[in-house]
Amino acid sequence: MDSVRFPDTPALMTTDPPIRRPPVPVKMIVAGGFGVGKTTTVRSISEIAPLTTEAEMTAVSVGIDQPRAESLKTTTTVAMDFGCVTIDQSLKLYLFGTPGQDRFGFMWDSMVHGALGALVVVDSSRLDDCYQAVDYFEQAGLPFAVAVNMFDGRLAYDLSEVRWALAVGDRIPIVSFDARRRTSVRDALLVVLEQALNHAEQAQDG
Amino acid sequence: MSGNVSGAPAPEPIGRIPPYLRGSPNSAAPIETPHRDAGNTGEQLRQPADRSASLRPFVLTGGRVNAVDQEIDLETQVTLRPLDPAVGRMPFASLGPEMQAMVALCGEPISVAEISARLRLHLGVAKILVADLRVAGYLDVHVADTLTAPSSEIILRVMHGLRAIS
Repeated sequence: MDSVRFPDTPALMTTDPPIRRPPVPVKMIVAGGFGVGKTTTVRSISEIAPLTTEAEMTAVSVGIDQPRAESLKTTTTVAMDFGCVTIDQSLKLYLFGTPGQDRFGFMWDSMVHGALGALVVVDSSRLDDCYQAVDYFEQAGLPFAVAVNMFDGRLAYDLSEVRWALAVGDRIPIVSFDARRRTSVRDALLVVLEQALNHAEQAQDG
Repeated sequence: MSGNVSGAPAPEPIGRIPPYLRGSPNSAAPIETPHRDAGNTGEQLRQPADRSASLRPFVLTGGRVNAVDQEIDLETQVTLRPLDPAVGRMPFASLGPEMQAMVALCGEPISVAEISARLRLHLGVAKILVADLRVAGYLDVHVADTLTAPSSEIILRVMHGLRAIS
């Protein structure tokens, strides 16, 4: 193994430094098709430059000839971008950008487990890229909002048209935002969190 | 993921995989996009799915693909465990270079995802090595914090924190 990549750290072993209590981690998902601005979204709000990890995911190929969906499951390695925001001393928000690929619907179960909610980023000129994410979060019961990324500050369609095209209910917020602007991303995430809050309160009442 | 590497029945020849990539029945076949050739049935496609999608990264884990601790999540926090002389731990030098690098990263609390990214290790590999280092006495893995469903109190705190961003 290449030892240059992993420099030795003998000093660390002699005395253990005082351990800081780790923050409670929470996460949100940034989903959407290829090239809609997921990484830009994460980069805009993250306090670190987005990192990339490779993860294995179960994928279901989506196609016209699908005699037995079960038989077409496969696992595939995907790159996933993420960043984080320190909320306070004991709480840290992680944002995971999930991959979107044309012919695959990913089973995000492991990633979505415990997430506060999801932001589905949409390019209004390529709406069909986000159908899978919308379907998935609806079925998973995860609070989410649709955020239409304004490329060049313009929308190809207005939000009511997007809602109609995506066939999402009135309960699902659809907002427009600019993935390059921090405050715009912040506001879009707050819309998701409003949904999450409603969800949590309903769960507590029920 | 329920990939079961060992104990898979000897498969029929798998379509579309070049002979030089075929190993013994229990070695992993490369996973590819399912081909839609007329000759490919669902049955044939299922066989590669039962195997590790990418064997090579898992050489570091001795071939294990399922983390011992299923509850280790992307955002799970990892910290260095202070040395307890009563318990002791494996000699540092006996750890592989990846594991030594992991220990070095954990001086500050860090997420499993970040460990994976910073060491350029496949996430699945990182999870397994983190679990190993817990067993070896080097790391504390704070899984309990990730298991509970998000409460409205937590959500409100996150909202408050985000609103402070300008």
